[in-house]
Amino acid sequence: MKQSFRDVLQQLREAGELRPVKKPVDPRHLSALMAQSSEATFFEQILGYPEWRAAGAVVSTRKRLALAMGCAEREIATRFEEGIRRPIEARLVDRGACQEVVVEGDDVDLTRLPLPLMHVKDGGPYISGTLVVSKDPEYGRNVGSYRMMYRTPRETGIDLVSSSDMRLYYQRAFEQRKPLPIAVAVGVHPYEMLAASYKAPIDVDEFSIAGGLHGAPVELVRCRTVDLEVPADAELVLEGELLPIGWTADEGPFGEFSHITGEVKWNPIFRVRCITHRRDPIFYVLQMPWENDWLAAPVIEAAGLQALRIASVEPVAIRAPVGSCCYWSLIASIKKRPGEGKNALLALLSVAEVKLAIVTDDDINIYDPDELDWAMTFRVQADHDVLVVSGARGKHIDPSVRAWALGQGGLPTTAKLGIDATIPEGVPREYYERLRYFAKDAVRLEDYL
Amino acid sequence: MSALAQRIAAELAERPRHFSEVVEAHADVSWRDLLLAWGEVRRADVLERDEAGRYLVRIEDPPAQPRRLL
Repeated sequence: MKQSFRDVLQQLREAGELRPVKKPVDPRHLSALMAQSSEATFFEQILGYPEWRAAGAVVSTRKRLALAMGCAEREIATRFEEGIRRPIEARLVDRGACQEVVVEGDDVDLTRLPLPLMHVKDGGPYISGTLVVSKDPEYGRNVGSYRMMYRTPRETGIDLVSSSDMRLYYQRAFEQRKPLPIAVAVGVHPYEMLAASYKAPIDVDEFSIAGGLHGAPVELVRCRTVDLEVPADAELVLEGELLPIGWTADEGPFGEFSHITGEVKWNPIFRVRCITHRRDPIFYVLQMPWENDWLAAPVIEAAGLQALRIASVEPVAIRAPVGSCCYWSLIASIKKRPGEGKNALLALLSVAEVKLAIVTDDDINIYDPDELDWAMTFRVQADHDVLVVSGARGKHIDPSVRAWALGQGGLPTTAKLGIDATIPEGVPREYYERLRYFAKDAVRLEDYL
Repeated sequence: MSALAQRIAAELAERPRHFSEVVEAHADVSWRDLLLAWGEVRRADVLERDEAGRYLVRIEDPPAQPRRLL
């Protein structure tokens, strides 16, 4: 049977990775308190919202993401690859916990949810951890994740600026002056969130990818007011429609996945027609930026592995560092044959907007920053082992690409840097033989304490 | 508009403010009441944004161009 959001909280609790907060907390302070905890946080009482509890920063570290995925920290990419290779169709069920309480019509009121104010420059309270379901008559069901900014008791903004399948669905509906029905599930298993962040082909159902990750079908229930389906075990569901107004309503700023505040954007409006939730609901606060970034890490690491294999390079390990938002950098160790350090760099730098790639031999533990520094110190000659590629595709959100100077609609470019920290061709491997301590295996420190 | 919504609109007419500044100025108001009042200001269609993302209410010199929908 597939696991739920609550199962993940229980796993974290058992691993000592979930900190309970017992005193009542105002929704204005949820994010600030989460930022002070090294564990995920569970708020047992929310001031002014007696029926709600809240949880956040659930997968804000590689360790917690690996716990949720049931694998070792180094295996999140391969675990993700296994899941997407074996999709399992979702299953429709008659009832789900997400519909234990149903609020429709005039009773719909978003202010009855503990919407958090997260960052100083945010344009309003945000629902940050969403699973948004939509349908197109031709392409079928789509599942993505989009932030939503509170506007009024029945309306939110939604960031639909970037290219996505749902943006296309909305564009097609908008051209016919029709609203696009959507359903927003909040508080689902990280597998559903991972599947939503994976850029699957447009005709692939992301719920089947989530099923592959679970190893069991995702159970869905029909929504009450729109012709859509949502995970039966979600904590909260908002049903409604994107109004056919185009990109005309202000949305943002918001603390982006880059750890930088974004700009005001012009976006559609989501009008909420129905709210359903569990009887004892837990509001999920996706804590920016690292939780958002870790939810993308398996996807980008898997893309790096794929790029290396296509380049006929054998990867051993790969890591998307969170300091680069699990997006702009990739570090990989490989079983190297002559020349493959450079081939690997070219492959990794071709992945999305990766602008820094480092490649090491397989004797380097790329998860240990000291080992990585050691490899970059003694295996790199900057005039031979550093690649710089100018004028590659960049991303607006990176201030160093100076997107503001491009004018409206201008697309930024970026330089890319590759560092080949593998043993240089022509340098014998024995030059890198590491120190070994005399009698290391003959004595044990415990015996002398 | 409620008295709270009117106060918020008046404050935004004084000078542009981030949403968090509005929240700080009304720290003694319950979160739900503040969001309800904010919804009223939104619905009144008086809000504009400046380049820094702050909200403002312009009370003189109505814009020559129709405002973008807020």
